[in-house]
Amino acid sequence: MAIAVPPFDILLVEDNLADVRLTQEAFKDARVPNRLHVARDGVEALGMLRDATGTVPRPDLILLDLNLPRKDGREVLQDIKQDEALRHIPVVVLSTSHSEHDIARSYRLGANAFVTKPVDVDRFFQVIRSLEQFWLDTARLIRP
Amino acid sequence: MGWGRSRDAAPGVDPERKSPAPTEQLFRLVVEASPNGVVMVDRRGVIVLVNRETERLFGYTRDELVGQSIERLVPSRFKSSHPDMRQGFLANPQARAMGAGRDLFGVHKDGSEIPVEIGLNPIEVEEGFFVLASVIDIGPRKQVEAELRRSNEELERFAYVVSHDLQEPLRTVSSYVQLLSRRYHDRLDADAMDFIDFAVGGARRMQQLIADLLTFSRVGTRGAPLVPTGMQAVYENALASLRAALDESNATVTSDPLPTVVADAGQLAQLLTNLLGNALKFRGDQPPHVHVSARRAGRMWTISVQDNGIGIAPEYFERVFVIFQRLHSREEYPGTGVGLAICKRIVERHGGRIWVESTPAQGARFSFTLPAVAE
Repeated sequence: MAIAVPPFDILLVEDNLADVRLTQEAFKDARVPNRLHVARDGVEALGMLRDATGTVPRPDLILLDLNLPRKDGREVLQDIKQDEALRHIPVVVLSTSHSEHDIARSYRLGANAFVTKPVDVDRFFQVIRSLEQFWLDTARLIRP
Repeated sequence: MGWGRSRDAAPGVDPERKSPAPTEQLFRLVVEASPNGVVMVDRRGVIVLVNRETERLFGYTRDELVGQSIERLVPSRFKSSHPDMRQGFLANPQARAMGAGRDLFGVHKDGSEIPVEIGLNPIEVEEGFFVLASVIDIGPRKQVEAELRRSNEELERFAYVVSHDLQEPLRTVSSYVQLLSRRYHDRLDADAMDFIDFAVGGARRMQQLIADLLTFSRVGTRGAPLVPTGMQAVYENALASLRAALDESNATVTSDPLPTVVADAGQLAQLLTNLLGNALKFRGDQPPHVHVSARRAGRMWTISVQDNGIGIAPEYFERVFVIFQRLHSREEYPGTGVGLAICKRIVERHGGRIWVESTPAQGARFSFTLPAVAE
């Protein structure tokens, strides 16, 4: 008998609405129960992560775009990994960039994975599926 | 003779002399008319003759130069070493370019420096031993080169930014059209699915174009240093990356032992992959037979990729290397028309050249040169 698992909270930090929707669509097909929260820029993301009111649950996984308004993804990543209360949360950088420089820099800043968004929609869905399988099923996370 | 000491010396025509030996006047006219600055010095380095171009170039009158030391025209930072260099030339006087690849400068009367090229010629006549220096002002050429370099860099930066920023909206278009087909294919009729296929195909092609353009723009700006690189290993990697196409076309690919060349390994791999990929793609009815050969000619290696494919008519030998130029419809042979343009840019970045020889229907041979490792 399956044990009911509380749904996973995922924070998607992405400014492009088309990509937000596409990611939401991909997670709709997910097998693992999940709730996808969206921040549209870096400042909003850190606000949600450091929210003291408890209206936004602390996520189990962060999907982070690099090019964001106000505060870009690299700064957000750095802030998260320097914050005692947040650094344990896995951060997957999800970017259109193929640049070696962006990849190396993200890992040095403490990213847990760097994934280039595929251009093909079927591949994109596969990527989201494999992230879901690994981070929400295979990997053991610290859960409240 | 007293060359150059006075502008209107009498022409010493000697009736005894057999014509058409050049007269002093003729010599003077030739020197005067030379588009290069001409400066003649004796073995002590004293200027004995200058022409009009020298006056223009350095801003002195003839009288201010003749009788003075040549060091007057040498920038102060080279003044102390210049006499030794003159002695070196006198010890082994041979016509040669001065400076052996270093940038040379002359100094103008107003103190400004002029980039120059200087050719040196020893001249021995009755009056003694002289050195004739031919001075070319390369300032305008340097300026054009700098402008060209700048505009090339700007163009590459532009292509890079444009192609990167174009990817984003294009990805959105193609993703949502694909999503439409994925979600609604059972509710759409055949026409609607056709339209979606065309839209997806168009977006995919544009993505490929942009990706190729990005690669093309990176050849000049993102290249690695040119170092001795074993071509055999690069060739084998290129073959491995073409495994699917090789199997699918039932191809046979052979090669001579390949040399070590001075190259950027990543770009060399791209060059070989493009040429081998083309050899497989433009195949005829027979399974492809491809041979890669290597031949040493002086400082360069010539590498050739010979195939037995459909070949190219001679009128297109140049055109195939031009970006976006294609000889076939996309239905016959897919592609963006960027591959060979990338090859050409890579080869030229290495100081080589690339060309094609072919008989239509009998195959094509693409050859390129790359610098050999200096021994």
